[in-house]
Amino acid sequence: MTLFLPAVEQGLIYGLMALGVYISFRVLAFPDLSVDGTFPLGAAVAATLIIAGWDPFLASLVAAGAGMVAGAFTGILSTKFRIQGLLAGVLTMIMLYSINLRIMGRPNLPLLGRPSALSTAVEALGLPYTWGLVVVAAILVLGIKLILDLFFHTEIGSAMRATGDNPHMVQAFGVNPETMVILGLALANGLVALSGALVAQYSGFADVGMGVGTIVAGLASVIVGEMLLRPRGVFWATVAVLLGSSLYRGAILVALRYGSVLGFTASDLKLLTALVVLGALMAPAIRARLRGEEA
Amino acid sequence: MILELSGIWKVFRLGTEAVEALCGVDLALEEGEFVTVIGSNGAGKSTLLNVIAGTCRPNRGRVRIGGKDVTKWPAHRRARWIGRVFQDPLRGTAAHMTLAENLALALKKGRRGFSLLLTPARKRYLRKLLEPLGMELERRLGERVGHLSGGERQAVTVLMATLARPKLLLLDEHTAALDPANAEKVLEITERLVGEARITTLMVTHRMDQALSLGNRLIMMHKGKIRLDLSAEEKERLSVADLVDLFRRLGVTDDALLLAGNGTNNAGDAYS
Repeated sequence: MTLFLPAVEQGLIYGLMALGVYISFRVLAFPDLSVDGTFPLGAAVAATLIIAGWDPFLASLVAAGAGMVAGAFTGILSTKFRIQGLLAGVLTMIMLYSINLRIMGRPNLPLLGRPSALSTAVEALGLPYTWGLVVVAAILVLGIKLILDLFFHTEIGSAMRATGDNPHMVQAFGVNPETMVILGLALANGLVALSGALVAQYSGFADVGMGVGTIVAGLASVIVGEMLLRPRGVFWATVAVLLGSSLYRGAILVALRYGSVLGFTASDLKLLTALVVLGALMAPAIRARLRGEEA
Repeated sequence: MILELSGIWKVFRLGTEAVEALCGVDLALEEGEFVTVIGSNGAGKSTLLNVIAGTCRPNRGRVRIGGKDVTKWPAHRRARWIGRVFQDPLRGTAAHMTLAENLALALKKGRRGFSLLLTPARKRYLRKLLEPLGMELERRLGERVGHLSGGERQAVTVLMATLARPKLLLLDEHTAALDPANAEKVLEITERLVGEARITTLMVTHRMDQALSLGNRLIMMHKGKIRLDLSAEEKERLSVADLVDLFRRLGVTDDALLLAGNGTNNAGDAYS
């Protein structure tokens, strides 16, 4: 049980990132790799501003804004300049590596002893530190989840969902699919950067390398959640993403604590995560083959 | 004049070869006209519809809708005046969204904000719209469109295309992929919806019997040009055999098209 609270805390904070991946991959059907750059971008912006004496809430908001700009950039590359989606994301990601270093001035910024948005809120509400953090994170993340649900049921949000489903159709109904892709990627990467900002404050540092494998971790959360809940509709899909994220973080904490028994080290985590995602992606084809159908 | 095409040229480059899809097409449609379009493979029928809808920009010529020059407008901007149904039933609807959501998106054409897409009042309205289709779809508003059959999806697509009362409806062989019973049903729905709202319609078909029995004007395209333009009265006097004869005289030797004219309903379905 000592791992339960941290798993949920991290599951929620990283869950914002997973929600972003859900928007680009599932809603827009756009394989957006910029998240590997926008996650540390959020961390870098927030850490730099907090060290400069900014309020941590404001710093996190600016970080989210920076992520939105980067996401919109990927969207513009792919729609207005017809660069393949995967490549557009990779280009943004690689540019952000240099940009993040510029922002921080060095590869790693410690935040120890600096105010953090979540713990400031815990203190302001007078909650005990043991479970206060999980409550504050839950209020924030579930609040954002509900706003997202609502957004995807508005006219413009529904048009965005329809764009990922059938771009020909939305064009015939007066929606510019390019605008929807740009808006959607901005929204997705805004969430990813906000998650990066909160993770930096939670773990006490921002590091230029902290974004490696973000997309795989995000996908793992989305896929695990979908396998468990088989959601229909946006409300349950976002619940599934947050559940998947918490389970994924829990699995990582367990692996870190007990993995050494099996000979695993922390550096094996990315391999294990990728194998989990790979297994989930291969499952439908394997099942079809077992049933004797053409895969 | 609802639609006015003047001197439309469209040349596609395939490698080093240039294919002339449209060679100086002039066409004017009056309000309320229902025009059927026939022509052999590669005659330029689909390109013509693409040029009107804005998914394809002509090399030369002007497109006017309702007197406004829209030649340079992108497709989504023209969409508020144009409804379109394709041959493929999958193209006109979003499979993972519910029937109600699909219809509501069509209803809200061109105007989009942060208000909820589906309100109880709007759902009641959509249910009323579906009832006359006679497919019991009004009970399936919450179901994903992907669960509907091809015929049901195409009927819904036709309804969606006419919902926002477009100035112009483009039908691109929209019953060709359906089995005869469903094709009949979708055609019946099309005629009723178009008639009720008096929507100016351009319908591409490869079935000569359809081209003759439907609508009040018939045009025949061949090699990128309009070769025949028949009024309702002229059309009335023609039989399928006469039409085939006219085709032969124009030098059309497309076997599939001529076969389709032999009164058999499905021969033409083999090619599309």
